[in-house]
Amino acid sequence: MAIQVSGITKQFGTYRALDSVDLEVRSGELLALLGPSGSGKTTLLRIMAGLESPDAGSLQLNGEEALGLKPRDRQVGFVFQHYALFRHMTVFDNVAFGLKVRPRAQRLPSAEIKRRVMELLELVQLGHFAERYPAQLSGGQRQRVALARALAIEPKVLLLDEPFGALDAKVRKELRRWLRKLHDEIHITSVFVTHDQEEALELADRVVVMSQGRIEQIGSPAEVYDHPSSAFVYEFLGQVNRFDCTVEGGVARIGNGALSITTDETLRGSGIAYVRPHDLGVAPAAAGPGRVSGIHVVGPDARVEIELDGLSLEAEMDRERFTSLGMVVGDRCTVQIDRARVFTR
Amino acid sequence: MPANATASALSDPAWMRRLLIATALVFLALFLLLPLVAVFAEALRRGVSAYWAALVEEDALAAIKLTLIVAAIAVPANLVFGMAASWCVAKFDFRGKNLLITLIDLPFSVSPVISGLIYVLLFGLNGLMGPYLKSHGIQIIFAVPGLVLATIFVTFPFVARELIPLMQEQGSEEEEAALVLGASGWQTFWRVTLPNIKWGLLYGVLLCNARAMGEFGAVSVVSGHVRGYTNTMPLHVEILYNEYNFVAAFAVASVLAMLALVTLVAKTALEWRFGAELAASRHK
Repeated sequence: MAIQVSGITKQFGTYRALDSVDLEVRSGELLALLGPSGSGKTTLLRIMAGLESPDAGSLQLNGEEALGLKPRDRQVGFVFQHYALFRHMTVFDNVAFGLKVRPRAQRLPSAEIKRRVMELLELVQLGHFAERYPAQLSGGQRQRVALARALAIEPKVLLLDEPFGALDAKVRKELRRWLRKLHDEIHITSVFVTHDQEEALELADRVVVMSQGRIEQIGSPAEVYDHPSSAFVYEFLGQVNRFDCTVEGGVARIGNGALSITTDETLRGSGIAYVRPHDLGVAPAAAGPGRVSGIHVVGPDARVEIELDGLSLEAEMDRERFTSLGMVVGDRCTVQIDRARVFTR
Repeated sequence: MPANATASALSDPAWMRRLLIATALVFLALFLLLPLVAVFAEALRRGVSAYWAALVEEDALAAIKLTLIVAAIAVPANLVFGMAASWCVAKFDFRGKNLLITLIDLPFSVSPVISGLIYVLLFGLNGLMGPYLKSHGIQIIFAVPGLVLATIFVTFPFVARELIPLMQEQGSEEEEAALVLGASGWQTFWRVTLPNIKWGLLYGVLLCNARAMGEFGAVSVVSGHVRGYTNTMPLHVEILYNEYNFVAAFAVASVLAMLALVTLVAKTALEWRFGAELAASRHK
C-alpha cells in the first residue's frame, strides 16, 4: 500500500513539529525517516498511524483519504520504541490480541487464531516463549514479540518507531539484518524512524532526512550520502570536515588560503566547505604545510589528525595504505582535497 | 571474620540494629497493639453475653446497617470518580491539570469538620439551597444523603491518589498499541488499562472503604445524631461513651477495629498471593 503525505503541519503549543511536509511512500518499500531528535520524524509516523492528528494537510493510504479514519480502521501495524507490550499478558496473548478484539462477525475461530499466532511466533523465532511474560524476555525478544503482534492483524503498512533504539549494539545489528530479510520475504510497505544514520543507510531502500519539521532530502542511501543536498544533510550523514571559506571566481579559499577548492562560478561570498575524511589525500613531505597530530588505527581503517595553518583536519584511509605511508605523529605532510562540497550562506 | 568483613563494613553494628528494632517494636506495641487490646478488653469486661447484647441492640444494629449502606454507596462512587480523575490526569495534558490535582488532594488537607460544615451551609435549612430543597421535600442534611455526600467527599482522594502515580508511570503506550491493533475504547479499557491498574485500584478501594466506615468528623456535622436513623458506627460509639455505657461503646468500637483488621489481612493476603504478578505489573 502506498502512502501519500501532503502539506502535513503539526504544532505543539509554540513548537512546530512538522512544517508542511510532503512525502510519498511507495508500495512495498522500506523507508527510513532519519533525523536528530526534535526533527518531527516520530510525529510524522504517529500521524500516519492515526495516533496524532495534524493541524493541516492530507494523508492518503492507497489513494484514499485517511485522516478521518481511526487507528483501528487504517490497517497499520505499529511497533513502539519501548515495545508497549501488554505486561499482564503472555507472549501468546500479546500476539493474539489484535485477532481477539475483532468484532464477533470477523473474528477467526480460536483454533485458527492459535495457529496464526504460533506461525508468527515461529517467524520471529520465539515459538518456545509463548507462555512467557514480557518481563521475562530480553530486549531483542520483546522487540520481536512487538513485531509479531503488529503483523498479526495483517497490516497493509508497518510503522516502526526507533525499532532498535533500546537495544545494545550487537543485538541491534543482528535484528537489523533480520528485519531486512523479513522485509524481503513479506514485502510489506514499511516506514521506520531512526536517529542513527548507519541504521538508515544500511537498512532502508530510501532515506528521508528530516530537520526541524521539514524534509531536507529524499533519496536512496547512496544518493543522500554521496550527494547531500544541503549543509545539514552533509553534517548529519557520516563524518565530515567542516571549514569556513570565502568563495570568489570559482575558487573557495579555506582559512588563510592554505587550502582551496574549485567551485561553481556562480557562488560568491562566505560559505562552508565540507570534505569527507576519505576524500582528503595525505602524503608525507619534509617541508609540507601540515603536521600529523594524531593517529588512530582501529580495524581496517586508519584515521589521521592533521594540523594545518590553524585548522584541524581529519583524514581517513585504509590500513594498508596508511602503513605504506609510514607516518608517525609529528611528521610534516601535504594535504590534497579530492572531493568537496561548498555551500554559500 | 573475613567472610563477614564486607557485610559488617556496610551494615550498622549489631547493638544499633537491635536498638532500632526494639524501638520500633515498643512503639508499635504502645501505640497500636495496646489500644487494640484495650478495646477488646473493655468490650468483654462484663462477659460475652453483655458484649453480644450491646451489638444486637436495635440502635447498634441500625448504626451498623447505616455504616454499611453509606460505604456501599460512597466506595463504588469513589471508585468511578477516582478512576476517571486519574485517567484524566495521567493520560491527557490540559490546562488546569495541576489545579485538578490540588483539588483532588483537598479533602486530605481540609479538616473533616469543615467539609461537613460546607454541606450544612449548602444544603441545610438556612443554607444556600435550603429553601429550594425544603419546598421540594428533599432532606439532605441530618439524613442519609448528607452522610453519603460527606463520606464521598472525605474519601475521594484514596483511589485517585493510588492510581495517578501508577498510571503516570505506565504511560499510555499500551493503550495506543491496543487502539492500533483494532481494539475499541471499551475493549482497551477492560483488557489493557484495568488489568494494569487492578492492584493499585484494589489498594485504593480497601483504604477508601476503611475510611468510609470509620469517618467521624464530617459525618458528625451532617448527621444530627438521630439514634437509629442517622447514627453511623463511629457516632454511635461516641454517644454510648458519653452516656458512660462503656461496654456497649467498646463493643461497637471493637467491630470497627475488626473491620480495620480484616482490611489489613485482606491487603496482606492479596500481596502474598499475587506478589509476583504485582511486581510484574509495576515493572516493564
